[in-house]
Amino acid sequence: MSELDRRTRTEARCTLVLRLAAFFCFAGWTWVHYYWEGPYGVLFWDEHVYGLAERLGISWESFVGSGANDGVIQTVIRQMFWLYLGCAILTLTVRRGAWVQMAFLLFGSGLLSLVAYTKYLSAERQLPMLLEFGGQVLAPAVLVLALALGARHRLTVILAVLAVVMTFAGHGAYAIGWWPTPGNFYGMITKILPVDHETVVGILFTAGVLDFAVCVALCIPVLRRPAALYATCWGLLTALARPWAGMDTTLHYWGADQFVHEAVLRAPHFLLPLYLFLLWRRPPQEARSSQTDEGLGDPPGAPASRATA
Amino acid sequence: MNWIKYLALTGVVFVLTGATQAQQDKPKRKWANLKIPEVAAKDVICFALYTVHDNTLKLTAQLYPLAEGASQEVRLEVEQDGKWVEVATTKVVQPGWTAPFRVENWDDTRTYKYRVAQGAEARYEGVIRKNPVDQDEIVVAAFTGNSIQPSHGGDISRQDIIENVQKIDADLLFFSGDQVYNHTKHYAAWLKFGREFGEIIKDRPTICLPDDHDVGQPNLWGESGKVSTLGGASDGGYSRPAIYVKEVERAQTSHLPDPADPHQIGQGIGVWFTNLNWGNIDFAIIEDRKFKTGPAGRVPKQGPRPDHIRNPEYDPASVDIEGAVLLGQRQLDFLERWVEDWRRAKLKVVLSQTIFCGGAHIHGNANGRLHADMDSNGWPQSGRNRALRTLRKGFAFHCAGDQHLATIFQHGVEEHGDAIWSFCVPSIANLYLRWWEPLSPGENREQGAPGYTGDHLDGFDNKVTNYAAANPQKKPAGNLLNTRSAGFGVLRLNTKTREITMECWPRNVDITLSQTEQYPGWPRTISQVDNYSPRSWGDLGTLTFDVSNPVVQLVDASSDEVLYTIRVKGKTFTPQAPLGRAFTVKAGQDGPNQVVIKKAQVGGPPQSVQLK
Repeated sequence: MSELDRRTRTEARCTLVLRLAAFFCFAGWTWVHYYWEGPYGVLFWDEHVYGLAERLGISWESFVGSGANDGVIQTVIRQMFWLYLGCAILTLTVRRGAWVQMAFLLFGSGLLSLVAYTKYLSAERQLPMLLEFGGQVLAPAVLVLALALGARHRLTVILAVLAVVMTFAGHGAYAIGWWPTPGNFYGMITKILPVDHETVVGILFTAGVLDFAVCVALCIPVLRRPAALYATCWGLLTALARPWAGMDTTLHYWGADQFVHEAVLRAPHFLLPLYLFLLWRRPPQEARSSQTDEGLGDPPGAPASRATA
Repeated sequence: MNWIKYLALTGVVFVLTGATQAQQDKPKRKWANLKIPEVAAKDVICFALYTVHDNTLKLTAQLYPLAEGASQEVRLEVEQDGKWVEVATTKVVQPGWTAPFRVENWDDTRTYKYRVAQGAEARYEGVIRKNPVDQDEIVVAAFTGNSIQPSHGGDISRQDIIENVQKIDADLLFFSGDQVYNHTKHYAAWLKFGREFGEIIKDRPTICLPDDHDVGQPNLWGESGKVSTLGGASDGGYSRPAIYVKEVERAQTSHLPDPADPHQIGQGIGVWFTNLNWGNIDFAIIEDRKFKTGPAGRVPKQGPRPDHIRNPEYDPASVDIEGAVLLGQRQLDFLERWVEDWRRAKLKVVLSQTIFCGGAHIHGNANGRLHADMDSNGWPQSGRNRALRTLRKGFAFHCAGDQHLATIFQHGVEEHGDAIWSFCVPSIANLYLRWWEPLSPGENREQGAPGYTGDHLDGFDNKVTNYAAANPQKKPAGNLLNTRSAGFGVLRLNTKTREITMECWPRNVDITLSQTEQYPGWPRTISQVDNYSPRSWGDLGTLTFDVSNPVVQLVDASSDEVLYTIRVKGKTFTPQAPLGRAFTVKAGQDGPNQVVIKKAQVGGPPQSVQLK
C-alpha cells in the first residue's frame, strides 16, 4: 500500500471515528430531550430571567405557564429536542466544504456547552463537572476541524487532546477526591464488583491517578499511544458501567430507557482517544524500522508476520 | 518544532489541573461556608441531643475533630446536690466524632443539669428535663428543610427561631428532615446545624429524622438498603456509600429511644423507627423512606422524570404496582402494636419525614405543574392506605415536613375525611418551592375558605381534604425567606382537652406578640377523635365508666378485626362506628382487657361499665 493510500485510509478511519463520537453524543442527548427532559430547570427560576421575559414583552404567566398550560419555558425546553436531532443527523451527512452544516454542528457544541453549564450549576459550581463535559462539548468541533482541515491537522489533534484531557481531568479530580466523589462512582463499582468500601476507595483513587497520568502522557510522544489506548478502554468501561450497574431484567425494558443513553452520550469519552490512537498508530513500515531504531520491537523468536501484518 | 507543541499541551494539562486545585481552595462566595472552624480544646464539644423514654436517657454529644493524641473518652455528668457526678462514659465513634451515651434507670421525675466532658478542659452543659406528665399542654416546635444556601435566604440567621422557641419554652423539638443540605459533607454541615440550633437543643428532648438530603441524595427511596446508581436515585436505594449513611444516622438518631425492631437492612444500614413517650403523649417515630420502593423502571413512564407524573390522563391504578412498598411490613407490625398500646398515653402523634398524599401541584418553579410526585407518601397508593388504616386505629395525629410547603390535610381512604390529619410544617429556609393549587375548587369547603381547600383527589386518586396551604409567591422575589413561605410549626397538644392546635409561623417575627400573624389558614385546632371520625359513621350508646380515662377498644364482631383503640377523656364516651355492623367493646384502665359489650351497634342504648 502506498504512503498516500495509507494516509488516506487513516484519514477516513479517523474521520469516521470522530463522526461516530459526535453522532452518539448528540443521539444520547436527543433521547434525553425527547424521552426525559433537558436539565435546564436550574436556569429559569431567577429574577434575571424574569426581567428578560418582561423586556421581551412576555408576561410572567405566559413565560412560565398558567400551570394548566405550558409556558414559553416548557415549550422551548421541549422543542430543543429537534435541535439535537438535527445535529445528530448532521454528524452523518456533513462533508468537507459543507460550511452551513459545519456551522450548525459548531452551534451544536454551543448547545452542549449550555447543558454542561446547567450541570455545573446543579453541582454547586464544581469545576470538574464543567471539565468532564469537555469531551462531549468539543466532539462536534473536532469533527468540524477534521473535515475542514483534515483529521491529521495539528489544530484538530490539539483540540481532540484538549477534549480528552478535560474529560479525564474532570473524572480524575472527582475520583481522587479533590472534589467530593459522586455517589454513583462508588455505587457503580459496588454493584459491578463485589468488594468492600475500602477497596472501592482504593480503586477510585488509582483510577483518578491514572486519569491524570493519561492527561500528561498524551502530551509525551513516547507515551501518547499507550495513553490513548488506555483512555479508549477506560472511557468505554466507564461509559458502559452506567447500564451495566443499573439495568435489571425485572425493570420495564430492563431499565434500558434509564441507562443506555448514559453510555451512548459518553461515546466521545472513548472514541476521541480511539481517534488519537488510530492517528498515532505507527504504520507497519515505521514500526519495523523503529524496532531497529528504538530497540522496542518484539523479543527474539517472535513471528515475522507480526511486523508486516 | 514538535517539542514546542508538546510543551504547550503539557502546559495546558498543568493549567487545568492547577485551576481545579485553585478553585477547590478558593473561598466560595455564592455557596454556604462549610469550613469546620478550628476550636480551642475547651470548646471541642459542639452540641448534644437527647431523649428520655421508659426511664432510659440517650444522649449523643457531637464533637469537633479532636487533636491528635487527645483522649477519645467522653464523660456524662449530672449535677446532684451541687456536685457533678459521672453517670456514663463512652468513646468517640468514627467517622463523625459522635459520643453516644445510654443511661438506664433514669429518674425522669426530676430535672437535672448535665454536662458532657472531654479531657481536662472541654465542657458542654445543658438540662435534662423531667417528664412533663403534670402539664396539660405539651408544646412541640417542628421544623424541616434547613437549607443553608444564600441564594434563597439560607444564610439568614436562625436567631429568630432560637428566641421564639425559648419564649414558648417548647417541651420537644422535632426536625423532620433535611437538617443538612450538603450531599457530601454531612459532618461539617451537622456541626453548623449544631452551632445554630444547639442552644435550644441542649435543654429539651429533640427528635431528628434524617431525610434524603441528609444522607446525600436529592430523593430517597431506600428500598431496604439497595445501592442506587441513577441520577435522582429513583431506581431505589442509597447513592452514597453505606459508611456515609451510617455516619449520618449515628449523628442524627443515636440519641432516639432504642429501635422497635433493630435488625439491619441492606449494606448493614441500621433502622431507627421507634416510639417516644413524653408528657403522656406517645410519639411514633417512623421511617417513610427506608423501605420504600424506587419507581424508576417499575411504573410506566408518565413524565420527564421517572418519579414525576405530568400526564393528567394517566390511569392512577397503573402505578399502584403489586409489591411496591411504602412503610414496609416491619414498620406496619410495629405500628399495629403501637396503636393498641395506651400505657401512659393520652394522645398519639406520629412523626415522619413527609405526608401521606401528593400535597402539591406545582413543583420547583411556577411552570412545574405535576400531576403526581412519587417522592410523596401518596405513592404507592396501597402502601399509603395500609399505613393510614393502621394509624387511624390509634387516632394518631401526623406531623411531617419535606414538602417545602406548609399544609393541613385530612386524609381519606374509603371516603373523604375517614383517616388522620397531618400538618406539614414549612421549611426553615426554602430551597425548592411548591404550591398547592388544584385546577378546580374543592368540594365541601368551609364557609369562606379558599378554593384550594376542601375535598380533592390528589394525583394518585388518593382522597384528601385540604384545610390550609402556605403557598409561596409565584414570581421570583429575591432572597427573602417569607416570600418563599419559610417558617416553622408549633403543635400544642393538650392532654386534658385532647385537642391538637397547629400553628404555622413565618420567619423573623415574634410569635408571642398578639399582632403577629400566622400563614393564612392557621391556627387550627382539632380534636383527637377527628383523626378517625368518618362522616358516614353513627354513635353507639354512650358508655359511662367508674374510672377516669379508661382505654376502650372496638372489635368487629364478625371479623375480630380491631376498629380502633383509644384512651377516652373522662368517665363517659360515645363510641362512633360504621352503620350496620356489630362490635365487641373492650375496656380497661390501662389496656382493653375486659369485654364490656358484645354486638354493640350504632343507635344502641347507653350503658354503665364497671372497671374497678
